[in-house]
Amino acid sequence: MTEPTVVAGAVIASDKSTRKPPPPEKASDVRRRTWVILSFWFIVLCLLPIWWRTTTIYRANLPLDEMLEWADGKACRPVFPLRISIQADALQEQEAQNLLRLTQHALDDLNDFSGHHLRLQLSPPSTVEHQSRDRDDDTALIIRLVPGEFTSSTLDPYAPILDITYPPNTIPSPTSSSSSLAAYVASQLRTTFAEEQAIISYLLSTNSMPTEHRPQGLTPEAAESLSKRTTRSLKYAPTYHLTFSLFTSGPLPSSWDIEAAIDSYMRPVLDVLSPIHNFTIDTQVQLYASPGVQSQILNKEDLSSFVNAAEWPLSPSIGGAPTINFILFVGNQTIGSTAPSSDNPDDATNITTTSSWLLPQWGTVYLLSLPPSSPHVSLATLKQPLLTFTSHLLSLTGTPQSGSLPLRLSTLARIRSADLLLRASSTLGSLARLSLALPSIAIPGSVADGVQKTMAHLRLACETLGGAEGLAHARIAEAEAERAFFEKSMVGQLYFPDEHKIAVYLPLLGPMAVPLAMGLLNIVKEWTKRRREKKERGVEKKNV
Amino acid sequence: MRLSSLLRVPALFAAALFAAAPVAQAEHTSNWAVLVSTSRFWFNYRHLANVLSIYRTVKRLGIPDSQIILMLPDDMACNPRNAFPGTVYSNADRAVDLYGDNIEVDYRGYEVTVENFIRLLTDRVGDEMPRSKRLLTDDRSNILVYMTGHGGNEFLKFQDAEEIGAFDLADAFEQMWEKKRYHEILFMIDTCQANTMYSKLYSPNIIATGSSELDQSSYSHHADNDVGVAVIDRYTYYNLEFLETEVRDTSSKKTVGDLFDSYTYEKIHSHAGVRYDLFRGGEEEARSRLVTDFFGNVQNVEVDGSKNTTLEEDLLSLSRTIAALQQKAEEEEQAARQNTTEAVKSKPMAHHKTQFAKPLTDENWWTKKIFGATALAGCALLWGISSFLEAPGK
Repeated sequence: MTEPTVVAGAVIASDKSTRKPPPPEKASDVRRRTWVILSFWFIVLCLLPIWWRTTTIYRANLPLDEMLEWADGKACRPVFPLRISIQADALQEQEAQNLLRLTQHALDDLNDFSGHHLRLQLSPPSTVEHQSRDRDDDTALIIRLVPGEFTSSTLDPYAPILDITYPPNTIPSPTSSSSSLAAYVASQLRTTFAEEQAIISYLLSTNSMPTEHRPQGLTPEAAESLSKRTTRSLKYAPTYHLTFSLFTSGPLPSSWDIEAAIDSYMRPVLDVLSPIHNFTIDTQVQLYASPGVQSQILNKEDLSSFVNAAEWPLSPSIGGAPTINFILFVGNQTIGSTAPSSDNPDDATNITTTSSWLLPQWGTVYLLSLPPSSPHVSLATLKQPLLTFTSHLLSLTGTPQSGSLPLRLSTLARIRSADLLLRASSTLGSLARLSLALPSIAIPGSVADGVQKTMAHLRLACETLGGAEGLAHARIAEAEAERAFFEKSMVGQLYFPDEHKIAVYLPLLGPMAVPLAMGLLNIVKEWTKRRREKKERGVEKKNV
Repeated sequence: MRLSSLLRVPALFAAALFAAAPVAQAEHTSNWAVLVSTSRFWFNYRHLANVLSIYRTVKRLGIPDSQIILMLPDDMACNPRNAFPGTVYSNADRAVDLYGDNIEVDYRGYEVTVENFIRLLTDRVGDEMPRSKRLLTDDRSNILVYMTGHGGNEFLKFQDAEEIGAFDLADAFEQMWEKKRYHEILFMIDTCQANTMYSKLYSPNIIATGSSELDQSSYSHHADNDVGVAVIDRYTYYNLEFLETEVRDTSSKKTVGDLFDSYTYEKIHSHAGVRYDLFRGGEEEARSRLVTDFFGNVQNVEVDGSKNTTLEEDLLSLSRTIAALQQKAEEEEQAARQNTTEAVKSKPMAHHKTQFAKPLTDENWWTKKIFGATALAGCALLWGISSFLEAPGK
């Protein structure tokens, strides 16, 4: 309250006479003014850290180096130790040991890709039933050696067993250093696992693995066929949704025995795949469905636009799982043999006999021609389409083509775990590179948590690669990595340049900052003046 | 002899291998389209018509609704000023109703925001977001991103309320590339000074094209006197003209280069720009991409060979293995059931504990409490100090 009057007085005084100094301020007024200004400054200084804390973007500490190591494949070297047990009941212990040693030797010589080991072991002589029952342990394949007339081998279709017969005279003597039987077994093993090895080494080569861990390399043709396989197969998801659709060009048929058909022709495969994937199923029927191509005879170019995506209700958006479509189209259109397509002339010769085709990562279309007045598609009619769908389902899920079914499935599990491991690693790398590249992106604590979890599970998966446990860990790691990368709160205005900050703060803080700074300046000035005066007075007193 | 000849096969195979085979550039397996109109209000009718006509085109060329993300910030069809309620036309002849009865709008009205657009691109969405509103692409997906609205130097306005910067867009694309969420992108934008929007992009495999250079406006093509406003922009109009006359169905072999060559200043009244340098293989490779690689949905199908007769046998073997598996599973289940009976006994106790009301998220609960307490204490302290300071004055 006193200040304005002082100022006014000063103004009046300067009006009257410029030489006359203003009346001296009371010491208490000066002190109070100082307190006022200092308290303002005190508040500002107190609030500064709060302002700083609340406006900085929170960035949790990520173990960037470790993440990048995972992405570069330095943290984990994917090794698949496949244990193969040899069952040779007819052989002496020592003979068998010798054979095993030689075979292992031959295998090691043949193997050019260190990530994929085949380790042989001798299983104790026992009955087959017993063996096949507890094959839950890590044994990938059992070789059953049976004496016979000549050397031959067959894969058991029901279990991962390779039956090899041999003439008794081919058994290596304990002293010999090479054996044709051992070489034969080794080469059989190699051909059995050739596809798996090729797929895994292809997976590693397409990911950013350092060169020293890379396999020796693939021929361009092999790489092409493998890339075709990866093109065809869907990205791994724990659950797939299968949609079976019956589209008819006219009013009939209007019903089908799809449930029974699925149960009898597809359910077994779904059950077998159940350790790796879950499946949900829905079916639909649509009458008067017009395909995307109207011509009577379809050539290969037409097939890709046959599915009328605009009008057929094909994406049900049920749940969160990706959909695999199986379409049964009842009409009179046929697939015609056309001029041999440029990429593969062999295809064209086969086209005449077929009525179905596979759309990579999407599903299958099967053309069925029925007598025009049949109102119902029977179970027997559905057999062939469903079997086609089933085999396509296997290739859409990425199951290898060769070998017996149990082997293909265990291979699928191994491929998927390698795939998931690499995918999770590369997601970690992406996250690390992004957090370096975008300095203004927020990284909440949950992301750091997710990264930690991912790496823990990756480590476990890396140790137990090849088994069911490895797949489970890789699955968790991948899910966690995805969750960390796609953290919802990591969005916002990423780009916020400094000019914008100035534009926001200056009009707001500028007018407030000026009196504050001037006030502080005044105080300092007065304080130094007073000190000088005090000093002078002190000097005068001493002199007096 | 038999054995040795068998042995030779793997040896030959190994010899045929040679180091570091180049990994062939893979084809795409799915096509997606993100079509965004960003402006509100009746007089921006043409932006909605632009985006709807592109929507019709990509749908005609086979991209299903589930793979088209359509963002419409306003509802022109139901606007009270619309003389033709329920319809949107992009031409004064009003031959084709773009709105029609088979249209799936994914983001509508105030859902069309910069944040939602970036969330869509980067897929940073909550669990509640339905699949139809997400861009579920992978490293084999080609994406067409078409945007139209009012823009300026390095920004595009959304809803007259906010804007997306060229940097934001570039960062979003980079995040998509890092996460392998696209194979190739065709980015197309029709706004004033559109070419500045793609100038900051830095992620590979993007072809970008825009309607006008810096300091150039993008003009509308013509107005419909009955509708009362301009119905389409020039750049979009001539794109559509090309797509409708030259790309009649998915078997068309017209390339993206042909499309870009059709742009002239005489037609568009501004300098349309194209950016190739981000694309792997540069201009030549980019120009050779088919129009249907982005506007259509064309995949390499695999036609089956002759019937596979081994299938039935496979299935038989399958069902047998399943019988064995199920038997084993049942055994395990029985064993597990014995264990769970003990666990069940202890469960009810735990249930009682969780029945109390709980905050939805536990995280930072204590920090929040402390913050609140500090704030209260601070207020009390201030009040105390002020009354203390007041007292001596009296």
